[in-house]
Amino acid sequence: MAYSQHTADLAQGSVTYHKAGSGRPLLYLHSGGGFMETKAVQTLAEHFTVFAPVAPGFQGTAMLDGVDSIKSLADLWATFIDDVIGAAPADVLGYSFGGYTAAWLAAGHPDKVDQLLLQAPAGLAPGGGSGIPDDPKERVTMLYKYPDRMPEGIQPGANYAQNRKAIKQYIKTGYDEDLVTRLDDIVSLSLIVLGTDDKLVPQATGQLLKEKLNRVHFIYVYDAGHGLEIDQPDRVAELARDFFTRGEAFLVNAGRDGANVTTR
Amino acid sequence: MKFAYFHLMPYTGKKDETTDWPVANKLFDPALGKQLYDTYLESMVQAEAAGFDWLGCNEHHMSPYGMMANPNIVAATLIPRTTTASLAVMGQLVPLLNPIRVAEEYAMLDVMSGGRVIAGLLRGIPHEYVAYNIPPDESHGRLSEAIDLIIKAWTEPEPFGWEGEFYQYRAVSIWPRPMQKPYPRIMMSCSNEVSARVAAQKGAMFGLANLQNFNHARKLMQAYREEAKDHGWEPTPEDFVIALTASIDEDIDLAKERLTEGRRYFANVLGGGLRTAQKIVLQKTRYMDDDTRSKFQGADKQAKISVDDLINEGIVVCGTPEMAVEQIKRVHGELGMGNVNINMKVGNIPDIAITNQIKIFGEKILPQLKHL
Repeated sequence: MAYSQHTADLAQGSVTYHKAGSGRPLLYLHSGGGFMETKAVQTLAEHFTVFAPVAPGFQGTAMLDGVDSIKSLADLWATFIDDVIGAAPADVLGYSFGGYTAAWLAAGHPDKVDQLLLQAPAGLAPGGGSGIPDDPKERVTMLYKYPDRMPEGIQPGANYAQNRKAIKQYIKTGYDEDLVTRLDDIVSLSLIVLGTDDKLVPQATGQLLKEKLNRVHFIYVYDAGHGLEIDQPDRVAELARDFFTRGEAFLVNAGRDGANVTTR
Repeated sequence: MKFAYFHLMPYTGKKDETTDWPVANKLFDPALGKQLYDTYLESMVQAEAAGFDWLGCNEHHMSPYGMMANPNIVAATLIPRTTTASLAVMGQLVPLLNPIRVAEEYAMLDVMSGGRVIAGLLRGIPHEYVAYNIPPDESHGRLSEAIDLIIKAWTEPEPFGWEGEFYQYRAVSIWPRPMQKPYPRIMMSCSNEVSARVAAQKGAMFGLANLQNFNHARKLMQAYREEAKDHGWEPTPEDFVIALTASIDEDIDLAKERLTEGRRYFANVLGGGLRTAQKIVLQKTRYMDDDTRSKFQGADKQAKISVDDLINEGIVVCGTPEMAVEQIKRVHGELGMGNVNINMKVGNIPDIAITNQIKIFGEKILPQLKHL
């Protein structure tokens, strides 16, 4: 399902966002590679109305005054939920850089976030974690287990330099102790998803979140690196669909025909 | 009347009351676990020496509630340490498992023990379905089909195939076959009428783990008898197994105190997480029909009843040895079962007290009741 591009004028400034689908709203916060219409992202739009804003500074957009940290970016997305989605609290899926932002959004604005899915979230690697190599080949090797599964038309390295610059504006540390102390403020039913072969976000991040969050489940996606949506698009899309559709009941196997699926 | 000594093998190192499910296993101390397994197995060996006819174990997953993910391992461990007692696995949670593996393992145990196995084939409680990612809606269908397949695997002399709704095998011929002929006695849980009728259809023993009250038990037993009659057989007292919790001491107050604290620990510390998962399954699936709903409501209600009220109701064994004899006689008089399954290790009741209770049972209780 193709996404259309829009512009929202928020109090903090103008924001580009992508939108597709129908049904329950879902705020999708992209990774450090920027918004990419992966198969997983397309599948989400078959089940939800997906709003995917572009973080200011990414993909040719300008940074916004006053939006220069993960916390202030999270504040921007809280405004986006109110002014663009118009249905707080909204479900939120954040991937890597977006997962970091989503965690701050849920901690700082618990009234804005309904269910929360953190997909290989950055910013919470005990010890600081690994950096991303600038060399394109090394970067691809680090991020993806199956880079050959990259769909045609998606160029993960596009806008790399500019995205990288924006990331450095927002992220000051690989382990945000301030956020760790705020995790208890997150009241959302949450799901942490991590690839078994993620070389960027360690398993300790998932374990930390499982331990600290109040209502949380933690799932490894087998045979996937940090680039979950490329390595295992069907698995991550199905997890997200099931989690956002059934709520806590997603723990329970729905059976062969799914005939008795209870939705939220 | 025959007596079973049943053990749930709880992990008693957990202190806090939590409702998380599953409970984080970082709380499990393997050194303490080893000590508990040793203590619990030793108590089962002691129970045989004291005169218990069966030694009972069962299967639970992902919980400090019971440390027997595979009860067959416990039964196998008991084989060389015991000689006459039946090994009552009550039971394996069949819908969660590969039924051929169930048939194989029971056959192994039966041969290795010289024909001492009682094969429990159970549906399990709701959280097990989350633990093993099996659709709860399919629990009844899987259990029924699996039992038929297991019996077939035990009894067919020639290799056979199976094309069922839930299970498909192109060729089955298990090695070993069971020692008991035609196959080990099957026991099923009959805590609701549907289950009681299925048990009768399968020719299984009637097992009631949660005695809510005599009227409820009689209703279930009657349904079982009716269904058995419709299927051409008539149950005898030996077909009925009623479980009873027991806390015995010469000091009646001590017996009550232990049971009160053990029940609190069991419900709040060991069982809090289970109720969380159970709630999700029961609310979100068709696992629970009206009968099953009644069972869980009854169990929840019972957990809140005081020990004194349970004693007055006659559905617990608690007090002095003399009181215990009369209490068990009362249950027998009300229900007429041929087997009693005694659970002494409720929650965190101290193991030294359990050792003493087994001794008391052997010396003062069993001799007065076995003739019934």
